[in-house]
Amino acid sequence: MKKTAMLSAAAFIGINLVFPAAAAQNIRAKADVVCEPTKENLTYDCKIKLVDARTNAPLTGVTLTVGADMPSMPGVHNLRSVIAQAQGDPGNYRAILELEMTGVWALRLDITGATRDRVVKVLRFGDD
Amino acid sequence: MSAEILKVSGLATSYGKIEALKGVDLRVESGKVTCLLGPNGAGKTTLMMTIAGILQARRGSILLEGKQLVGLSPANIVTQGVALVPENRLVFPQMSVRENLLAGAYQRNDKVGIAGDIERMYTRFPRLRERSEQLAGTLSGGEQQMLAVARALMSRPRLLLMDEPSLGLAPMVVADIFRIISELNRDGTSIFLVEQNAHMALQVAHHFYLMEQGKVTFDGTPGELAEDEVIQRAYLGTSRRSDP
Amino acid sequence: MDDHVVSVLSNIGVISFVALSAYLLLLTGEISFGQQAFFGIGAYAAAIATAMWGWPLAAGLMLGALAGASSALLVGLPTLRLHGLYFAVATLAFAEMIRILLELFHYQVAVDGELVGPNGTDGFGGIRYVFQNKIGAFEYMLLIYTLLATALAGLWLLERSRLGVAFRMIGGDETLAKTSGIAITRHRMIAAALAGALAGIGGGLYAHLTTYIEPRIFDIMLGVHALAYGLIGGLGTALGPLLGVLIDIGLLGSTRLFSGYRMIVFGGLVAVLLIFRPRGLLNEEMVHRIGSFWRRVWPTDPSQKSHGKT
Repeated sequence: MKKTAMLSAAAFIGINLVFPAAAAQNIRAKADVVCEPTKENLTYDCKIKLVDARTNAPLTGVTLTVGADMPSMPGVHNLRSVIAQAQGDPGNYRAILELEMTGVWALRLDITGATRDRVVKVLRFGDD
Repeated sequence: MSAEILKVSGLATSYGKIEALKGVDLRVESGKVTCLLGPNGAGKTTLMMTIAGILQARRGSILLEGKQLVGLSPANIVTQGVALVPENRLVFPQMSVRENLLAGAYQRNDKVGIAGDIERMYTRFPRLRERSEQLAGTLSGGEQQMLAVARALMSRPRLLLMDEPSLGLAPMVVADIFRIISELNRDGTSIFLVEQNAHMALQVAHHFYLMEQGKVTFDGTPGELAEDEVIQRAYLGTSRRSDP
Repeated sequence: MDDHVVSVLSNIGVISFVALSAYLLLLTGEISFGQQAFFGIGAYAAAIATAMWGWPLAAGLMLGALAGASSALLVGLPTLRLHGLYFAVATLAFAEMIRILLELFHYQVAVDGELVGPNGTDGFGGIRYVFQNKIGAFEYMLLIYTLLATALAGLWLLERSRLGVAFRMIGGDETLAKTSGIAITRHRMIAAALAGALAGIGGGLYAHLTTYIEPRIFDIMLGVHALAYGLIGGLGTALGPLLGVLIDIGLLGSTRLFSGYRMIVFGGLVAVLLIFRPRGLLNEEMVHRIGSFWRRVWPTDPSQKSHGKT
């Protein structure tokens, strides 16, 4: 037991060294997502609008990837994320999602590039 | 009469509203083998479990050399020097033979003494030495019973409780078990044995009790047992008596 | 490393904590359908600590572990005297109670002009510690696996300790463990607290991995899976439940092999294994055989050969 306690203490110190608390705040993103069914079964066409949460200015010059998880079974549905295409309008993106089943999905919007952030949007897919 | 190691008086144990022991009185003499006979459901296993502290007595007392065991935890009773070999030759099936022996010595912490005792068990039960690293669940019935006895002995008991050690074993293995019982007794361990096989028990036991429906109904020496008409019919078979 | 692979591996690592949590209780012979509750409690506690109180991640995770352990003790007091089915049902009922309480739990504060915190069924988003501190997905995965390795090392030591032997004895046969002088309830409480801590850390890691948690995540599905991982992978070693997670998430969940039919394949696998190999693929016998093989290939000092109580 003593050894286990020492291991935990070492892990605690280790994490604090590698991941110190509170660093500089980056840009925080905010998103609106609308998904429409397509002719393909379980395939959805999603339109995403990204803005800077503080200024409400459209977020441009970033790479947006969209993934999805089912909250009712965390960690298991590992869909491959898709890269969203930037649209003509600044801050507007579009992604085609192929889900495994209908139901509630948590969309993971991962922003990389000029800033890094993640926004999660929970949406219901399918018409039940 | 010699000194007694265990004295049970007025012992009652219940399962809910059903009283399994209805005031049991008996004594186990020091350095002797005492045998408890009785039909299924008479309360023999209940008595063993109550002495070992696994079941709680409702009334009565259990004295181990004068010390009250009622109310003590099973762990504490093991420390007091009582070990139980439960019925159906219980072993830890997913642990190796060696680990089972170590488990029997769980209450002790004298490493050297434990290692010495394991060696002694291997000498007494050579099959266990051969099977030392094997999982106990893969042993034969007889080997498991040997292991169950050895495991109980690892706590260095002064009083060994054995609940039907011959149940379901082949005749040759049963003979082995009884040989071991008398050897253990010769080495000074007091033994309290529950047994259905009265023929075998007659060869090792110094004193007999018969229990029926939660009460002791017979108390006597092997000689008196052999004379008792009722016991003759129920446990020894009438044919013996009629043979001149 | 490919982003998708990192994401799958991170999920495997995090879910492994719940699997280990259920495994630890299975070792002592208790079937719990409620370990997801401690995962949930750990997730909320750790997330509240970092996202709302500004604690560092390590402190948040510690709080998650502590919350998991102490709530497990609290639940253990009345339930650990129950056996078999009664215990299983009691843990399930408790976990559902926690989930419903989380649905009613509203506690939000304004962080940087935005409300952050648990908001009932609408969940708890914006757990951005990892993003604010510019921790990459790969680095975070390393953190998950470092902690998982620490947990495994701890379990490895535990299983070789007196306490671990007692756990296996209780799981092997309760009556016999009692006759060997083991205090059953006290040992079960220790196992429950450790299992709660493991699930709590897993929950904390999960919350920071996804940045979003909600009560639905901690429903019975997760609990059943956690239990199934040990039963599939095996109860002979702590690597067993990990194998179970690997089979489910790595093979069934992450390849398109069975896509929508994963649950059917998974359920079938559990059923078949319970019939033909009730203690899983890496059961005690298999572990034992691998151990003997290992000793034959790499003979060590014979005095070290004895295992169990040391």
